[in-house]
Amino acid sequence: MGHGFLPDPHPLHDNLLGVRSPFPFVPVALIFAILPAVAQSPPPLVQILASEMERNFTALKSKGDPAPYFLAYSVTQQETNVLTATSGMLASKDSSKSRSLDVTLRVGSPQLDNYRRVGRNFATFTNGSMLSLDDNANALKRRIWMDTDGVYRAASQRLLNIRTNKEVKVEATDQSGDFSPSEAVVSYKITPELRFDADKWAGRARQWSKRFTQYQEILSSSVTVIAQRETKTFVNTEGTRLQHGRTYARILISARSKAADGMDLATSETIEADDPSRLPSDKAVEAAVDRVAKDLRGLLRAPEVDPFVGPAILSGRAAGVFFHEIFGHRIEGHRQKDENEGQTFTKSVNGPVLPSFLSVTFDPTVKRMAETDLYGWYDFDDEGVAARRVPVVEEGILKTFLLSRSPIAGFAKSNGHGRRQAGAEIVSRQSNLIVGSSNSVPDAKLRDLLIEEIKKQGKPYGLFFESVTGGFTTTGRAGLQAFTVIPLVVYRVYPDGRPDELVRGADIVGTPLASFAKIVATGNQLQVFNGYCGAESGSVPVSAISPALLVTEIEVQKKNRSQERPPLLGRPTQTDGSDR
Amino acid sequence: MKRRTFGLLLGAAAVAPGQTKLNDPILEAMRSELERSLKLRLAGETPYYIQYVVEQGTNLNCSATLGGLLISRISNYRLPRVQVRVGSYEFDNTNCVYTGMVRGARFDNENWPLEADENQIRQDLWLATDRSYKAAVETLSLKRAALKNVNQAEKLNDFAKQAPVVKVLLLSKNKMDEKRANERVRTLSALFTAYPKILDSRVEYEEGVSGSYFGNTEGTFFRIPENIVTLRVRAEALADDGSPLRDYLTFHAFEAVNLPSDAEITTAIHAMATRLTALCAAPLGEAYNGPVLFEGEASAQLLGQMLGGNLGPVRSPVSEPGRPVNLPPSDFEGRLGARVMPEFLDVTDDPFAKDAKGRPLFGSYEIDMEGVVPQTLPIVSQGTLKNMLLTRQPVRGFEGSNGRARLPGSFGANAALPSNLLVKAKDTIELAALKAKLIDTIKQRNKPYGIIVRKIDFPSSASVAEFRRLAASLQSGGGNRPISLPLAVYRVYPDGREEMIRGMRFRGLTVRALRDILAASSETYTLDLLANSFPLALMGAGGFVTGMSVVAPSLLFDEIDMDRPQEERPSAPVVPPPPIESAG
Repeated sequence: MGHGFLPDPHPLHDNLLGVRSPFPFVPVALIFAILPAVAQSPPPLVQILASEMERNFTALKSKGDPAPYFLAYSVTQQETNVLTATSGMLASKDSSKSRSLDVTLRVGSPQLDNYRRVGRNFATFTNGSMLSLDDNANALKRRIWMDTDGVYRAASQRLLNIRTNKEVKVEATDQSGDFSPSEAVVSYKITPELRFDADKWAGRARQWSKRFTQYQEILSSSVTVIAQRETKTFVNTEGTRLQHGRTYARILISARSKAADGMDLATSETIEADDPSRLPSDKAVEAAVDRVAKDLRGLLRAPEVDPFVGPAILSGRAAGVFFHEIFGHRIEGHRQKDENEGQTFTKSVNGPVLPSFLSVTFDPTVKRMAETDLYGWYDFDDEGVAARRVPVVEEGILKTFLLSRSPIAGFAKSNGHGRRQAGAEIVSRQSNLIVGSSNSVPDAKLRDLLIEEIKKQGKPYGLFFESVTGGFTTTGRAGLQAFTVIPLVVYRVYPDGRPDELVRGADIVGTPLASFAKIVATGNQLQVFNGYCGAESGSVPVSAISPALLVTEIEVQKKNRSQERPPLLGRPTQTDGSDR
Repeated sequence: MKRRTFGLLLGAAAVAPGQTKLNDPILEAMRSELERSLKLRLAGETPYYIQYVVEQGTNLNCSATLGGLLISRISNYRLPRVQVRVGSYEFDNTNCVYTGMVRGARFDNENWPLEADENQIRQDLWLATDRSYKAAVETLSLKRAALKNVNQAEKLNDFAKQAPVVKVLLLSKNKMDEKRANERVRTLSALFTAYPKILDSRVEYEEGVSGSYFGNTEGTFFRIPENIVTLRVRAEALADDGSPLRDYLTFHAFEAVNLPSDAEITTAIHAMATRLTALCAAPLGEAYNGPVLFEGEASAQLLGQMLGGNLGPVRSPVSEPGRPVNLPPSDFEGRLGARVMPEFLDVTDDPFAKDAKGRPLFGSYEIDMEGVVPQTLPIVSQGTLKNMLLTRQPVRGFEGSNGRARLPGSFGANAALPSNLLVKAKDTIELAALKAKLIDTIKQRNKPYGIIVRKIDFPSSASVAEFRRLAASLQSGGGNRPISLPLAVYRVYPDGREEMIRGMRFRGLTVRALRDILAASSETYTLDLLANSFPLALMGAGGFVTGMSVVAPSLLFDEIDMDRPQEERPSAPVVPPPPIESAG
């Protein structure tokens, strides 16, 4: 059966806020560095998985045709608490616990196996079956066996198809194989307990959400609190045995309304932490609620943006999303060998791809930056490869790509970026994207530089992108090599000293290579954007960390607008309607 | 027992909104916004009918396999549905392919705050009504445009008038015992560890305690409890030749305490598992034409499926010019007053029927989804079709509801389904004599054997993948509604010996076969089932379910065709199943 993931060709649709993501509450995998408790002997689940894996692998190797050369089981256990409040009332309070199984089985050889991408066909074998929550060997092994059988049938069938497919015989540009070697790792860590007093948090969420009732023009608003604990257990036939996990907490604040001309407007803010206890004080959350409400009120009254090309500053958070979309997705390894991909940077290794004062590093080992807990860290990726720092661009020069165990020309081994959401197949994905700059100035000075640039270009104003909700990009060859970043709060900055003016309805659009060349300076304060990134292998938590960017030219287009009018009748009050 | 009336029933006399105290914040909020919303006006259109429904409740779901818990979840919900009709009872925005399409952003809460007070509920109703109203106005103008180019074969009104009813019943405050439910599914599912031939099995428990709130601009308001408890057991095996086999059990009640005891369920599971295990080694059946005895459960299932899906007349919507949407008619369409069964059979649909213990049968209800109080209806009298099941949607030959709107339908209407179908035979013989009669019949006709069907797959326990394959092949059966596969089929030889067979299906079985019933047993079987709007009432499909009961005798049919479909069988797994560990 197919999965509900993105179709092929895949527009990489990110919604870093997760608000409208089809996978709102998905994997997060990290551990505290603070002396993780280390288990001595294999946990029961590891033992059950390993014994069933050996039994299946041995039998398939001796009796199966074709024989498998690799088998791995991955179990993702999630405990999730979600509660939402609106206008001072609790709207929902749910908690759930689930375990799902992913089977990876490779037949053929590392040079050519059932995962080889042929044409537009993206191979999917696993189906993320629900697994017993109890460490009950009978219940677990039966499902593991059934899924292994199903995956083995599909894998053998696909290998047969690949071998008889002409396209494989055509000389591919990239001669690398399908699976790279990796060291066996054994590590058992106990995931920290999730301390979440749902009633206490419900009380806080009610109070926070109540603040929105002061704003009559807001049509809908909510505050959601999420606390999660995720444990991943992984075994493979190379001897890797892992159990690791993390807890995770988040507050989502959002408000929506409709302008008089029918434009739908929304503002939101999210706050993330490794653990519910690390979420900020009431005062800080209330301030965030007020910002969301006031920004929306401001937007409702703000003029609509005109199409614009000119200089702008992207705040650190906006710049993070900008880099995630226009750069990050294009250096994911598997896109370099996929003939359907645009391959923007495939031939650019050791060549300049960004201005020489910029560097980009992906570092899943960093847990906190700019006083913010990060989303995109983990100890091991979903292929059991240890996380590591990967400098991708140094002084503007492209050094490497993000790699899973699927090798590409010139890069034979994984650098720990094979990731997936439970139920999807693994591809290379981003972790913590960190933008470094050797041409940074204090943020106030960056603003001065913007005003200079506005004057130099003779523009009436420039733009300041304060916050963005997310974006998407198309990397496929069939589509336009373009991206869109969806800003929430944008100001016009005037060169004559007038106060900044809020505008609404702007989308940033552009093409990647042209956009990078326009970056001329950065600020010196890092900001963090935490969110979920959606692509072929599902939704995975990521972070983007960047200073503010000054760009000499950015293009803004008008947002699609609803033709629906605002509500026809006024808001109901206690006194109207039937009088009783 | 709480589905009986505790509240006030202020019947037929029209109740003007605002006069009666409803004593419920949801109903009061509905009344205020209904009244206010009648003032909506856009493009000259005002609403002539607005209806609010809120389903509020708590669901407990858990399931286990081989003793291990797979999932356990409690969810609370308060889901609103708003319908706005513009135009008039004669011609409005429903019964059209565009009905129900809503554009634009949604600002009301999809799932209402559980704690919402009257004021908050009014805010949500206000925004939801605004959105539905705008869509209704747009749909009505699209419908008018579509009709400019079409000559309608027959002119039917769009909505039947109905006298208002107010019925406010107490809701139950059942406490759910998640721990006990978890232990129960663990223990029951572990029974399958004793059956190595059964490869996949699952015990699923679902308990829903809910209430339905309703208000409309005609003055109908109700609040009724809607509780349902289901325990479902599924098992799958591979026959010795590799063909997939399955069986299931379901148990339903309105209240958890009224489910059968664990001991009774355990006995039923052992019987089912034993039969499924035996079926693995059973021979394949051959094409058959001759008398068939539908025994006990199978007879109730067959009647439930044939009558349940065919008693509601179907109306096709106004469609885009050149792209007609013709819904398949019911197999009883146009048969009113005609003989559809032998004269010794009567069928009644009785929403107030009770079981031997005096408890309401599983298909009982107080008021339907459109606020119409149902009555007991004779369906078949001395073999003649007397009534169809009707909602407020006018259909060819009928206008005016008899209170059978039991599931949401399409294009603004609701779907009609039976409540408790009571099938009674005048002349009956004992089941043993019925089997003897089957044997006599085959002897007379020189058949080597006859067939007894003891269970069919209704509601269907097929997986989604299997269901897709089935839907295509069953559709070719001749009737407008496919008949499920038989699960338990036996050959009966002239000497009375029985032999279980597998791999059979019915060929061309339609409601016509009901005319050829030869005899009925004195024993009856009571089948409880959860109906939904899916073909074969596929288990777990669809967002809405409703209870139904069928009480029927075993029935001997004169002539039924059965055959064995050609199917590709998957090869056996390379790896044998993992051995059961006793410590597991």
